[in-house]
Amino acid sequence: MLACTKQSRRTALKMCLGSAFGLSLTDVLQANPNAPAKSVIHLNLSGGFSAQESWDPKPEAPIDYRGSFGVVKTGNGYHFSENFPRMARISDKITIVRSMHCKIPDHGQATYHLFTGYLPTTVIDYPQMGSVVAHEYGIRNNMPPYIAIPNRSSFAGGTGYLSSKFGVFELNADPGGRGEFKVKDLSIPGGVSARQFERRTKARAILETSLQTKKVDVSQLATMGQFYEQAYTLLNSEATQKAFTLEGESDATKQLYGQGYILNYRNQPAAVGARLLMARRLVAAGVRFVSVDYGGWDNHNSIRKAYLDKGPALDHAIAGLISDLDQRGMLDETLVMVTTEFGRTPRVNTASGRDHWARSYSMMLAGGGIAQGQIYGASDATASEPDKNPVSLEDFLCTVYHQLGIDSNKELLAFGTRPIEIVKEGKVVQGLLA
Amino acid sequence: MNRSMLCFLLLLIISADLLSQQKQLSFANDVMPVFFRAGCNQGTCHGSSRGKDGFVLSLFGFDKQGDYFRLTEEIVGRRINMAVPEESLLLLKATGAVAHTGGQRFKKDSSYYKTLLTWIEQGAKNDKDQIAVPVDITIDPPQMQFDGIEKSAPTKVIARYSDGSLRDVTNLSLFFSNNNNTASISNDGLVSSHAKGDTYVFARFDRFTVGSEVIVLPQDAEYTWLGMDPVNYIDELVFDRLEQLQLNPSQLSNDSEFIRRVYLDLTGAPPSVEQYKQFIANDSPNKRAVLIDELLASEDFTDLWTGLWAESVRLMGGGYTPVATDLKAAESYYQWMHDQVEANRPVNEFVYEQVTASGSNLTDGPTNLYTMLVHSVRFEPKSFAADFSQLFLGVQIQCAECHNHPFDRWTMDDYYGFVSFFTGITRKAGAEPREFYIYNKRNAPPVRHLVDGREMPATVIGGESPIKAGLDSRIALAEWLTAPDNTLFSRNYTNRVWAHFFHRGLVEPVDDMRVSNPPTNGPLLDALSRNFVKNGFDLRALIRDICNSRTYQLSATPNAGNEADDRQFSRSRLRRLRSDVLLDSIIKATEWDRTFRDFPKGTKAIEFYPRTPGDTAGPLWRDDFLKLFGRSSRNTICACETKSEATLSQTLHMAVGNNVQQAVLSGLIPRLMQKKNSPEEIVEELFICCLSRSPTGKELATMKELIGEDHDQKEPYEDILWALINSTEFMTNH
Repeated sequence: MLACTKQSRRTALKMCLGSAFGLSLTDVLQANPNAPAKSVIHLNLSGGFSAQESWDPKPEAPIDYRGSFGVVKTGNGYHFSENFPRMARISDKITIVRSMHCKIPDHGQATYHLFTGYLPTTVIDYPQMGSVVAHEYGIRNNMPPYIAIPNRSSFAGGTGYLSSKFGVFELNADPGGRGEFKVKDLSIPGGVSARQFERRTKARAILETSLQTKKVDVSQLATMGQFYEQAYTLLNSEATQKAFTLEGESDATKQLYGQGYILNYRNQPAAVGARLLMARRLVAAGVRFVSVDYGGWDNHNSIRKAYLDKGPALDHAIAGLISDLDQRGMLDETLVMVTTEFGRTPRVNTASGRDHWARSYSMMLAGGGIAQGQIYGASDATASEPDKNPVSLEDFLCTVYHQLGIDSNKELLAFGTRPIEIVKEGKVVQGLLA
Repeated sequence: MNRSMLCFLLLLIISADLLSQQKQLSFANDVMPVFFRAGCNQGTCHGSSRGKDGFVLSLFGFDKQGDYFRLTEEIVGRRINMAVPEESLLLLKATGAVAHTGGQRFKKDSSYYKTLLTWIEQGAKNDKDQIAVPVDITIDPPQMQFDGIEKSAPTKVIARYSDGSLRDVTNLSLFFSNNNNTASISNDGLVSSHAKGDTYVFARFDRFTVGSEVIVLPQDAEYTWLGMDPVNYIDELVFDRLEQLQLNPSQLSNDSEFIRRVYLDLTGAPPSVEQYKQFIANDSPNKRAVLIDELLASEDFTDLWTGLWAESVRLMGGGYTPVATDLKAAESYYQWMHDQVEANRPVNEFVYEQVTASGSNLTDGPTNLYTMLVHSVRFEPKSFAADFSQLFLGVQIQCAECHNHPFDRWTMDDYYGFVSFFTGITRKAGAEPREFYIYNKRNAPPVRHLVDGREMPATVIGGESPIKAGLDSRIALAEWLTAPDNTLFSRNYTNRVWAHFFHRGLVEPVDDMRVSNPPTNGPLLDALSRNFVKNGFDLRALIRDICNSRTYQLSATPNAGNEADDRQFSRSRLRRLRSDVLLDSIIKATEWDRTFRDFPKGTKAIEFYPRTPGDTAGPLWRDDFLKLFGRSSRNTICACETKSEATLSQTLHMAVGNNVQQAVLSGLIPRLMQKKNSPEEIVEELFICCLSRSPTGKELATMKELIGEDHDQKEPYEDILWALINSTEFMTNH
């Protein structure tokens, strides 16, 4: 492992001075543009996804540890649970980290930890990874830099000590749900004609001059002006409007991500395929960080039923996303990470489920300069503890930041004066890099 | 005995003899300050909870005995070499003679080196029980003024010890400036001026932090005071400060600016057309004061202030009974607060009653301080104590759970002594599942100190001895808390009230009052706090003084010289309306009959609080608009939960979201058109509804142009109303 280079306070000071001399903070902080990953698709399987029932089966373990599923052989000679045959077939494109460990088996705290790199404290609120990326890289192609499909997790924190400018843009609509998919607040209302909207923007422009001529807080006015310009662009540009729909995707592409899966659970369509397809479109349109939520993995009861129900659609969707990115030549520049806040207990409980377990679990990485076709690290015989090459959550996040060209040991300034590392004491996991 | 041993013994005897003539150095008073000064025990180095590279020191030296142990006994002979003191790893590492992640901390010829070496030579002894400890530090001079930039002046730090002795600790202190762009301070305490402005420089030694105010003025600047006459003590103190900083206040706001501002701040919405016209037409010279009194007596003021209190105590109603925050409990708490605010109950009594409350959460409203601040199945004395301190004192005492507060005077003793007030708080199951009886169990054991496991009996923050046991300890707490001489309490509250009117506290953030975060105008905060106490903790009297001051009534337009001022109140500033005030403003301006989830028709956003069938733990909004525009999620006590920063999602929602769209289509425009008003009159009314002013000639002309032929259609007016609501002028107070 290689420690990220430590940025000294002196450098931080220089950066402050830099901004005083007219360089904007982003100019000085500009992360490395030659980094392999240009965008991230982050699929979070909230609730606590089971490694034993997915990418780290334990067929040799005692029956009450093993669970009830068989295995399927992967292309690179390992085994996945039989629920994930499609992922097994593309295993040469992805990397499974089987030696993850984090700290607290509580949904709220662990989710915050996963999204921010820190456990929650009452003193400092830390920013999410997507907000840090937005802060470091800014807008590309007029698209918001950080988008959540369909929403952000309420546990996951927000912009923390960074400005709300870097906050996530939530679709507030589910591309994989029943009924018509329409991103909230992203189109001019039905009853308002183009002419009317133009009149509205003109009238607003007139009104803004009143405070402008009074010279009242010019910079704040300018920020508001920028937001309106950005909003008008999103609302009026055909290209961005299209990026927020699934319009024009062929049936073959949709089928690649899997369609038509209906879950027994609440009789709902499995939304994950459409959400990931949406994510790919947004990344292609210029979004830097897309966070996709696909929950329901807190299976304290009947874990078999849950994975039979939800596993196939998930398997199909992840494999589809990777293949699709690969076919389009986007995989090299798009880092895909599939995460969960913690794993499940080694032993199956009396309700045929598994409970919370933070000491050992698995996550997936692909693209963006991550070595392909690996199983990194290993858990012990019962998936209780990491056995080989343990990877802490901090190291995992540090590695992802590194692929994006962001040194996570770098300090950002909280409250204008307090330097705080993006991730504290994380190290780049060299073995994960291509 | 071989030869080298002999030499060694001889050397030992000789050196011991020599050293016996020198003063015995103290571990706590001589050695520890070196670690502090050299940065060894800071959080990023060995002071980290896990230490660094295998060596742990307590953060900023809060655990001296532990540090002594780790240095001398943890790995005997590794860090201290008694035989050859110069070869002690401690010294080799610190001087960079061997590889050290932290590099060279000091040189061999420094006094720090000599101190450590001498102490080791003297036998690396621990202190005897009774040694004088530092009790206070001062920085000299306590204020400095520079006439011109790039000038320097020294400071000196003196520590006072428990035996009355004084010591110059300048070369053992750490220094920092709150704003290096204005004035910086070197490692040796030399202050240098860099730009016009005011800031503080600080010295830290042991567990103390002390500040010196630095004012930097341009050299030979021509300055004349051009401000108006003060009308009350607030103006006097603000203007004094402005004069000292060679600033001038902006002009007084005009009537339409004033009426909009005061309505928003006192009633949570802009004035109606009638209210506006009446005020403008009135030509009495004291009409502003009369209006302030009128608004202070209004129901809207009571609703607004109840809403603010409710938010600050994290009031929410839930259906999950074990956490004791039932809907009915929330309602009884809210109603009780509303009654108190309406009756203008003195703030000290208002708080006293909550702190000492016992009884049912469903019927005794104020007991819910002990359910709402916690929101968990078990009452947690530690988190409650932290929230309590942050809310009522503005002090973030929780830093001292694990180490002495690094930038304030609070110690771990203060923290644990304070937590012990709440170790007896009990919630006993009541007559039905939703009900809990809140009371304080007598003789509950106090908490134990993290470092040495001592029992820490209930002691007020900064108190020298524990309170008398026997009665409900909360009575002693409440008496101390709300006593006239407890300036922590009165300063905290007056600062929060000030922040409501100026969108910035004299101390900012309002809930982080500490030595190293001094007020931008200390005499003003003192005076506000003193007058508040003198007037019997009368909220309305305090607000009356604030709103009548010239300071509050200044225009937002800057003059030549005060454009950059954002902390001395020389002008009014643009401030985005709170989410709930913004929504209520839209509702009032557009005559929209919006309803709120789980509340009766006619409820205002400011009266709305989250009600959920589920659990109240975790963030909760229950209204998309309020969530989007930064209302507190009530997940933590932090004042920072209420946000007013702009985001792209907010702009999109204002531009095309359902709320504004519905508001624009509400009853206002049909009503105005039905009156068969001319387009000019309709536009004029719309402007007054939204912006509390008439359109300028140019605005009116352009709006008429935009309306064009469509003047008998409602669409153009809807479009103008949309533009008004989407204007920065509408979304902000100014």
